[in-house]
Amino acid sequence: MEPAEAELFRLADDELVLAERYTEWQIFAPTPESDLALANIAQDEFGHARLWYDLLEDEFGYDEADLVWERDPDDFVHSTLVELETPEGDWADTVVRGYLYDVAERLRLEALEDSSYAAIADRVAKVQGEEEYHREHAQSWLDRLTASDESRERVQAAVDRLFPHALTLFVPTEHEHDIVEAGVRTRSLAELREDWLDEVVPALESLDVEVPEPGAVVRPEPLGRDGSHTDDWFALHEEFTATYHELGFDEPAELRGENA
Amino acid sequence: MNIEAVKERAGPREFSPADDLPREYREAATRMIQFHANSEVMGGYLDKEFTRMAPSLDRKLACTAKCQDEIGHAQLLYRAAESLGVKTREQMLDELQAGEGKFLNCFHYPVDSWYEAPMIDFFVDGGAMRRQATLKNTSWEPYAHAMDKVCFEEGFHVKHGEDILRELMRSSKANQERTQAAFDEWWPRILQFFGPTNDESHHDDFAQQVGLKTVSNDELRNSFLNMYVPKAEKYGLEIPEYPRIFERDDGTMAVREEDLDWDEFWTIAKNDYPGSEVQIGSRRDRQEAVAWVRESMDDWEASAGDDGRTPAGAD
Amino acid sequence: MIWEVFRQEEPGDRHTHCGNVHAPDREMATLFAQVQHGRRMQTNSLWVAPKDEIGEVDADETEFGGTTDKSYRWAITYNNIDASFAEEVAESEADQEEHAEKRGGT
Repeated sequence: MEPAEAELFRLADDELVLAERYTEWQIFAPTPESDLALANIAQDEFGHARLWYDLLEDEFGYDEADLVWERDPDDFVHSTLVELETPEGDWADTVVRGYLYDVAERLRLEALEDSSYAAIADRVAKVQGEEEYHREHAQSWLDRLTASDESRERVQAAVDRLFPHALTLFVPTEHEHDIVEAGVRTRSLAELREDWLDEVVPALESLDVEVPEPGAVVRPEPLGRDGSHTDDWFALHEEFTATYHELGFDEPAELRGENA
Repeated sequence: MNIEAVKERAGPREFSPADDLPREYREAATRMIQFHANSEVMGGYLDKEFTRMAPSLDRKLACTAKCQDEIGHAQLLYRAAESLGVKTREQMLDELQAGEGKFLNCFHYPVDSWYEAPMIDFFVDGGAMRRQATLKNTSWEPYAHAMDKVCFEEGFHVKHGEDILRELMRSSKANQERTQAAFDEWWPRILQFFGPTNDESHHDDFAQQVGLKTVSNDELRNSFLNMYVPKAEKYGLEIPEYPRIFERDDGTMAVREEDLDWDEFWTIAKNDYPGSEVQIGSRRDRQEAVAWVRESMDDWEASAGDDGRTPAGAD
Repeated sequence: MIWEVFRQEEPGDRHTHCGNVHAPDREMATLFAQVQHGRRMQTNSLWVAPKDEIGEVDADETEFGGTTDKSYRWAITYNNIDASFAEEVAESEADQEEHAEKRGGT
């Protein structure tokens, strides 16, 4: 696999699976306004996944069926952070997950701005334009939820549960050396991990939320990036692909504007 | 203003929050708009299922966008209802989860397959758009303003629904048969969407007299038939033998209402149908699960000083 | 609390009222408003303002434009002058005529 191809799968799969989880809140969010805002973020993330999958189609000859609908669930390389089922009503889980992901996403996109792979570099700005709202949204909710004791405890529980999985965002695969060497990404995952920790740990601590010591964290067994996943992912994959298989259409429908 | 004056003045966008309106008008308008808003929310419970099922990325995006628009419409409508000064949004949402809020008959039937997507997204939504277009001329101005935006957004919903139907009916024989089966099941419900004949409807007369409604149930259903029966046939759906559809002297279509199950309709109207329990129960469970977030935001707002612009504890 | 939302379509346009949002503070109101009111409609800028902070005066309480004859300030009054010589004058006259109809006569 080409280094750019490997990087694109990480990008696209993260966004797809995160979006799928976000849409679970539609109609179920705490208020109409918060419902609309999170749905918007879900659509953005689906849109980003589509943009990166499109690139895999254009540059590496895949089609949508290969990439999403008929791909073996063991071949998806998203972080386990995005696949975990959200406990019912746990808005704090979604806020924390969004925050941990969005900071990592900003750092990753910055490291792709000057990618040697021009087709990736060209698309980064489009994605960054939407990620700004996502971070502001997550940060605003974090600030407010941590302002009272009960909801801060929920934030704390979500951090305890999700932080070990967030670390899998930075797990390298056998392609990591080539990705950096070829300049597809201008910073290594180890560097991105340091930058991320430097940002999220003090930010959470300033809100009186304790963050586990990264070195002491017991890593979940599935790493996501190597195709190993939690049961939550396999159940989710089964759920969202079942209708596709039931219908047996010739190809997935495209609904694109002229300038898409 | 007394009720006679209201009837006298009644016309498109005639009344606004600045008018001193009688209780009778405010309550009738609240009931109607609250019903509409509740229906947007409860329709979402069906529609969100289709997002997870959608068989392509673009369909998924369209489904999630549609679902989002529905909550957006609910937001606009609850505000339009709130502005009548009878109930707050919180009260209306509480009533919905308590099983006291009323909503459209079609949203009391849970869905479980993609074959049902065009039933909701094309036929039910098509019916809703017919009705909503006439409500741009309602006498409660904030309601009419909400309808401007709703109608602006809804065009894509119905077109997307039609596209889903088209795709299904151009695919395998098995898919066509299952779509037909879903149609057979949904068709009577869709015809009942417009409610019973005018003389059986509780609130219809008054709503028309004060200009809240401008077109009767009958007129809406008949114009719906004229537009949507040919669409169904175009894609190869057979119109079920019952309820009987007939052509009137002027060439327009109508339904033999005695062929429809009005007992079921009125059971639904009381939220007593088995599906009502499922759908309202889902609403209740989901809303209770996030009650803590709303409480947390209320605490935040209360700590935010007089005007909410300078929250204590914010930078 | 309720925040009134005003949308500007294009740079230079006026902000016009387009709806409201429920939000616990101004920052959340701007976040919510951009999705609810700027998502589908062309938007260049949004304002949010607390509903309670907005004062109103309406036609029941005052006579907008006064009650005495002010026809001297309407182009249509000068009907012995043909406005068509200059596009901008003709347009102004047409606009004024349209508004005059809304006001119910000149």
